[in-house]
This record gives sequence, C-alpha cells and structure tokens, in this order.
Amino acid sequence: MDVVVCLKQVVDPELPVRDFAVDPGTQRQVREGRPLVISTYDENALEVALQLKDASGAKVKVLTLGPAAAVSEAIRLALAMGADEAIVVDDPRAPELSGAEKACTLAAAIRRIGSADLILTGCESADWAERVVAPLLAEDLGAACVTFVSRVEAGDGAPVVRRLVEDGYHLVEVRLPAVLSVTSDESNRPRLPKVKDIMAAKRKPVQTWSPADLTRSSARDPGAGVEVRGVVVPERTSRCEFLTGEPAEQVTALAQRLRDQKLL
Amino acid sequence: MDPLVPTREIYWNIPAFGVVIMYLLAAASVAVFGHGVYQHFRMWRRGQPVDRLTPIWPRLRSVLLHVAAHGRLLAERVPGIYHLALFWGFAFLLVGTMVVFVQADLRLPIMRGSFYLYFQSLALDLMGAAATAGVAAAMVMRYVFKSPRLRRGILSDGVILWFLGAILLTGFLVEGLRIAGTRDPWGPWSPVGYQISVLSGVVEMSSTAIRGSHAVLWWVHFVLSMVFVAYIPRSKLFHLLLAPVNVYLRPLSDVGSPRLVDFEKVERFGAFAFSELTWKDLFDLDVCTECGRCTAACPANTTGKLLSPMEVVLDLRDEMARTGGVSGPVLAGGVVQAEALWGCTTCLACMEACPVFIEHVPKIVEMRRYLAMEEAVVPDLMGEALRSLEARGHPFRGAGIARTAWTAGIDVKSLPRGEAAEWLLWVGCAAALNERNHSTLRALVRVLHAAGVDLAILGDEETCTGDPARAMGNEYLFQTLARQTIETLDRYAVKKIVTACPHCYNTFKHTYPQMGGRYEVWHHAQLLAHLVETGRIAPTEPMDSIVAFHDPCYLGRHNGEYAAPRRVLRAIPGVRAVEMSRCRENGFCCGAGGGLYWSEDRTGQRINHARTDQAVASGAQIVATACPFCMLMIEDGVAARETVVRPLDVAELLDRSIGGSR
Ligand code: SF4
Ligand code: SF4
Repeated sequence: MDVVVCLKQVVDPELPVRDFAVDPGTQRQVREGRPLVISTYDENALEVALQLKDASGAKVKVLTLGPAAAVSEAIRLALAMGADEAIVVDDPRAPELSGAEKACTLAAAIRRIGSADLILTGCESADWAERVVAPLLAEDLGAACVTFVSRVEAGDGAPVVRRLVEDGYHLVEVRLPAVLSVTSDESNRPRLPKVKDIMAAKRKPVQTWSPADLTRSSARDPGAGVEVRGVVVPERTSRCEFLTGEPAEQVTALAQRLRDQKLL
Repeated sequence: MDPLVPTREIYWNIPAFGVVIMYLLAAASVAVFGHGVYQHFRMWRRGQPVDRLTPIWPRLRSVLLHVAAHGRLLAERVPGIYHLALFWGFAFLLVGTMVVFVQADLRLPIMRGSFYLYFQSLALDLMGAAATAGVAAAMVMRYVFKSPRLRRGILSDGVILWFLGAILLTGFLVEGLRIAGTRDPWGPWSPVGYQISVLSGVVEMSSTAIRGSHAVLWWVHFVLSMVFVAYIPRSKLFHLLLAPVNVYLRPLSDVGSPRLVDFEKVERFGAFAFSELTWKDLFDLDVCTECGRCTAACPANTTGKLLSPMEVVLDLRDEMARTGGVSGPVLAGGVVQAEALWGCTTCLACMEACPVFIEHVPKIVEMRRYLAMEEAVVPDLMGEALRSLEARGHPFRGAGIARTAWTAGIDVKSLPRGEAAEWLLWVGCAAALNERNHSTLRALVRVLHAAGVDLAILGDEETCTGDPARAMGNEYLFQTLARQTIETLDRYAVKKIVTACPHCYNTFKHTYPQMGGRYEVWHHAQLLAHLVETGRIAPTEPMDSIVAFHDPCYLGRHNGEYAAPRRVLRAIPGVRAVEMSRCRENGFCCGAGGGLYWSEDRTGQRINHARTDQAVASGAQIVATACPFCMLMIEDGVAARETVVRPLDVAELLDRSIGGSR
C-alpha cells in the first residue's frame, strides 16, 4: 500500500503569548525567529501511516508545502520517525495560502506522485484550523473521504478505519483511494525517532518540486470566495479594585460585586 | 627446641605423610580458587575500557579509610562494628597462617620469642575470639532480628556463616587439644585455647583421646579451610578479595555520571550486552555483598517502586555468571525490567550507601540509553519532554511563557543586548519556565546586585543544557543541546557562570569540559555563602523560623556540596536549623532527578510526598532548598499533604534577611 502523509509546518503552538504577532501586511502570523514544528495532528497522521508500515509494509511518503529552506527540520524529523521518502513543494508563499489553495496544490502533487492508496492529513492545522484540506483533496482526487480518524486497520480487503465521534467511534470500511483526516488518541501518539534513524534520515531521498511543475485541476479557482480581512490577537485585561471601609462594609461590598458578576 | 625460647611445635600429632597430603590438598584448593578467579577475569575483560588505576595515592587513602577503617561500613553502627571484628579477626588469622608457612616451609625461624607470645599466641587468640563474636552477631542479625535488608542471600549466608563458625571453632579446639597434649608451657598466652585445654583436663580426657580427637579436628579444620578458599570466587565471599580492589577503583570525581558516547565510533547505543558496559561495571557485579544497603536507601524502592538497586546488580551478576558474559538476552528491558530502569531518580543514595563502592547509576543510565536510543521507547511523559527539548530547547511541554518573564520589574543585564558582565547568571529552564521559581530568581538577582556582583543573563538565547535528556538516556539529544549551549557561551566569551540549578551546575562542571566547554562554575548557594562570609552581604533582619535544608541530589551527593547552603542559613539571624531524618550524604531525593520530574509516579507512595512527611516530622517550619526541581516537587508535596511547612530557596531566605521585597 502506498501512503502519502501531508505535513504542515506551523509556528510552535506553545509559543509564549508575548511572541505571538500578526503581520498587518499579510494578515498572517509572524514566523520569523519563531520555532517551527510539525502541526500537532499531522504528527498523529504520520504515526498512523508508520503503524501501517510496521504492520503491513506500507510505503510512506511525506508531502509538504512550504518554503523549502524552512521545512527541512520537519522533513528530517518525519524521515527519522520512519517515513521512506519526502517531497517538498517549494512555495515561499505557502504560509499565506488558504486551505483551499493548499489543497489544490497538494492534490496536484499527489497526482504527480502517481500511486497513492491512502492520503492522510491532520484533522486540522494548529494555526488556522480550517479543516478543509482533507475533504477538498478527496474531491479533487476523486477519492473517498473519512474525517476524524484515529486508527486504520488494513487487512486483506478494504481498510477499516475508526472514526472518533463524541462518546464513541464509528467503524468505517473505505474503498481506496481514500483521504483520511486524523485526530489523536492514545493509539497514535507520535513515536520518538531512534538515533540510528535520525542518522539514516540524512540519506533518505527528498525531492523538491516547484509549484510551476504541477498541473492543478482547472475546474475552478480555489482562492475564490474566501478572503481574510483581519486577524487580531485577543486582548486580555485584568482590573484590580480595592474595597474600602470597615471590614463589615468591605464584606457587604464584596458580596455585592460578586452578585453583580453573577458569581454568587 | 630450646625450652626457654617461647614457640610451639608445628604439625604436632600430624605424621609426615599427612603433611604431604595437606600440601596436595592446599595446592588443589588454590588451583580451584585460581580457576574461579580466572573465569571471572575473562568476563570482566569483555567490558569497555575505562581508566581507574591512577592516581595511586588518593586511591590508596580510600582503601585505608573504607577497608582498613571500615569508613562506610560503619555508617550503620552495629553491623559495621561486627563486620570490623570479622574482618580484622580473619585478617590476623590469615597472617598467623602465613607465619606458620614461613617458619615451616621457608625454614625462617620467626615464630619464636615475644613475637610468638604476643602476636602468634595472644593477639591471634583474641582476634579469633573477635571473629567468632562477629560471626555470631551476623547470625543473630539475620535469624533472630531478621533484618529486612538482609533477606536476599538468607540461605547462602547461612552456609557461609556456619562455615566460618566451624573453621573458628575447630581452630580453637585443635589449639586447645595441642596445648593439653604437649603440656605447652606457653599455653596460657593463648587464652581461649588454654581454657579448652583446661576443660579437657576437667573431663579427664586420656592422652590417646586427646591425640585422636586432635587429629580428626585438625583435618576437619584444614579441609574446611581449603574448601572455603575454593568456594570464595563462587559466592559472595568473593568480596573478600574484590572489595578492597573496588574501593581502590572507585570514581574519584563526577561520581555516578554515565560515560560520554562517541557517536562516530559506537555502533549500538547503550547496554544491550555485557560487552557494552565497562570492565569496571562488570567487575562491580562480582563485588556485591548482597548487604541490601543500597536498596534500603533507595527512595524509589522505599516508596514501593519496582526498582531495587541491589536486584539490578544481582540480576546482572547472575546473568553474567550464567552466560559467561558472552551473549544471552538483552540487558535493558530483559535482564533488568524497563519499569525498574525508568524508576531511578539518579539520586546516588544507593552508591553513597554501598560499602564496596558499586556504581549502580551509570549502569542504569547505560541501559536506559539502549531503550531511549535503540528502541526509542520511553515512558510517555518523558517522551513528550524529549520531543519538546528537540523542538523548543526546553523540556517543559506546554509552558507557554517566555524565558525572560521572571525579569519583569527588575533590571538585569542581558548578553544578547550587548551588555557585558563578569558573571553569567545561567537561569535554567526549570526556574525560568515555572512561575513558582521566578521569585527565587528575582531574590537571587536582588541579593547579588546588593553585593555588587556584576551579572548578565542570556535571556531568550539560553537553551537547555541537556541534563534531562542525558538522564533519560538520550545521549544523542544531550550532545546536540550541549554543543549548542557551548557554542552560545563561547560566542559571548563567557568565563564565569553562576547558576540556580544544580543540574545545570553539574553539567557545566563535569560534562561540558569533556566536550571542550570549560568555565568557572558556581552554584548560587556557593556564591551566596562566599558573599556572606566575605562580608559583602549582611543579613540583618531576623527570620525567627525553624529551617531544615533539603539537599538537592545534584548539589549534595553528585558534587559533595552540603556545607555552602547551610552556611548561608546559619548566617541569617533567627534561623534555627534542624535536620530531617535523612540529610546530607543520606539525603532523600525529591523525586524529580533522573528525568523523573516527567513521570507520573503512580506506583506506591509518591517520592515527594514521602519527603514532605519527613520535613513535617523534623519540626521545621521552612524547608530550604537550592534547586528549582526540588522546589516544584516539595511545593507539590506540601499542597498534597496540606501542611503549613513552606519551601523556600536559600536565596529567597537571604533576600528577606537583607530586606529585599517579599
Ligand atoms: S540512584 Fe537513587 S533512585 Fe536510583 S537506584 Fe540509586 S538510590 Fe534508587
Ligand atoms: S550493591 Fe553495594 S550496597 Fe547494594 S547490596 Fe551490593 S554491596 Fe550492598
């Protein structure tokens, strides 16, 4: 089985609040000088793919879209964890693209890869959380689509996937090719790379493609219809008030304040 | 024989052919003994090289202190004293036997005159009696008091003790019968033997009976002794021979640290097989006396975890004996269970307690390395800490605060801002990224500024020294982080470092020099003590509190620094110092070392809760410490136990006493 995992590199979601900033020109998060990591659920998607590799010898390729210089760390980690091969679509504009535009480029890249039975993505990215890439990819590729998948069991027949829902899960049989968006559970906690694999990862093949080399489906303009008008960092304010008077008065005042706030 | 010169007849009542048989038996026994030693020697030789032979003098001093004077053994009074009696008793008897050999075989007449009377008769008899008392005490300890730490070898110990007892007893009987049989005029110089000869007179033994029983007992004594010698390398008795050597080979500094891995050279990381431990590690295994002191001191074991440092050593030892140290199952996770390996806080309590200086921790870490680097299987929380270290240069997943958040409201120089200073204040992730420790850092800076110390920080350019990765067995990640840190420090030409974290301190002091990073490093407690003692800080405001100091393992046992923080406390007026039941060399870990800050500590009692109970029991109002990890653990313990004991860093206490803000 050939598995392609789409990985997105994002600014570390655990960044101190102080370092979070929005570029007013692009309306995107400032990336310069911030640590970049693989988006959280994408790591779970990679883990699911690697478990398929361990269980049934699937071949795992990781695909990422971004400025090639910046994504090398993420690619190296993915290869060290056990992916066989990596493809980088080198697009310096990638961080500014919408989910739909990205899906269009990724679909073109997957078509160029040729064989892809399963395409895995994280169920949402750690920065924009649009959740559109998986369904749009499926549409573009004419593949089946299951979202919020936590496990995949590939037997002799069609794979059976576990789709998490509130208070339980669905077991769904999918025909291939299929696009699965992956969420996390205790079974797909991303593995640590072995040191030997970290060293070997340096020798694994990484292809870099230019978006110009890809043939996008021309049915429609993926960028149309959605435009980001503004992004703001929520402001957190705190206020401190000293109650004056005798203790008894203070207590009454305090009780009143709490009642006003509907806390009492 | 001149009747006026005191001596005795050797081989009285033993015919010449008996002497020949005796020598044949002795030769056989020595051969069997030698073969046994050689078998072990072959196993030790499979280990990796490590230099432990020099320097000679400090090592010999150690042998004097801990073998001849029983330094560490006496840490437990009663067993220490009876072992001392056993040790010196048998040492004298061995010398006595050599004297006989010199006289009888080398034909050098030394066994005569006052030497004969004072040494060969009186002293040997008394030392024999001491040894007998020692054997008896050892038996009482095991079979009457049933000392819990001595359960492991309870049967084989019995065999050994009865053996020793029988050898001593038959020795005395043979002596007594000889004195009676030869009517030895110097007999009273051997008080025990003489009493036996008197007794033989009381029961009116005929001279034939004396001769007969003497002959039988002489052979029994001799054969027992020879079997004993042959048995030595095949039992824990081997420590008779190996323990003094192991004391000589002890680590002299950087105790308990694992080796630096050369990733260019090594093919497999960590201890899969015996050949991946050092020869000293393998030698260690055969030295163990099964005394159980290490396990009794171990905070993991005493709070109900699977880990027992003694079992780690003995399981490895037995496996090495079974396989000849050649192949066999994987050590890490096979011979020693992974759960046990991950339970170790690397606190060194075991190593400090071990009377024969066995090094448990380097072996444990070496086995962790196999799990962490070859199998990449580590406990979940540790795995997350490792991933965070890799991605963000600190192990605190989800910290979400800036490294410089603690500086809000105080003015600290910063090297990246181009402000040079004499000292670098190395903050450490545990302090910078956990709000509880911010007040420690602020207090420290206030005190240092008050003393006129010129310092700067690295701010956002500081990254983890790598200590947690190293303790968790991921040496590769450790070295990556360490190289990065050394590069940063060298970029700013840092020469003097003061740090508020004992883990960082230990890494700078011992590990970085091996990687080319050499700096003058002080732990903040040391610098504070120095400033107080040189009068640059004058604590004046009285604290009026009962304070117990909790020794951080990486300041105390790892670096031998017990005094400095106590000196700081003593300088604060109104502080009444008390000690917890376990303190200083015998201090009890907070539970965070060895990367176990990132563990759930679910089995048995939590280590930090146990430590908090000890603090409460000491009657202290304040637990002072000098480590950001200890601080977090004790805060957690105090909250869980709902006690009024408050943990404070020595810097915070000193700050209050010089009138710093609360
Ligand atoms: S270092 Fe501490 S926790 Fe580890 S085995 Fe020794 S005593 Fe136990
Ligand atoms: S390792 Fe040391 S302390 Fe532990 S049982 Fe063996 S000899 Fe005793």
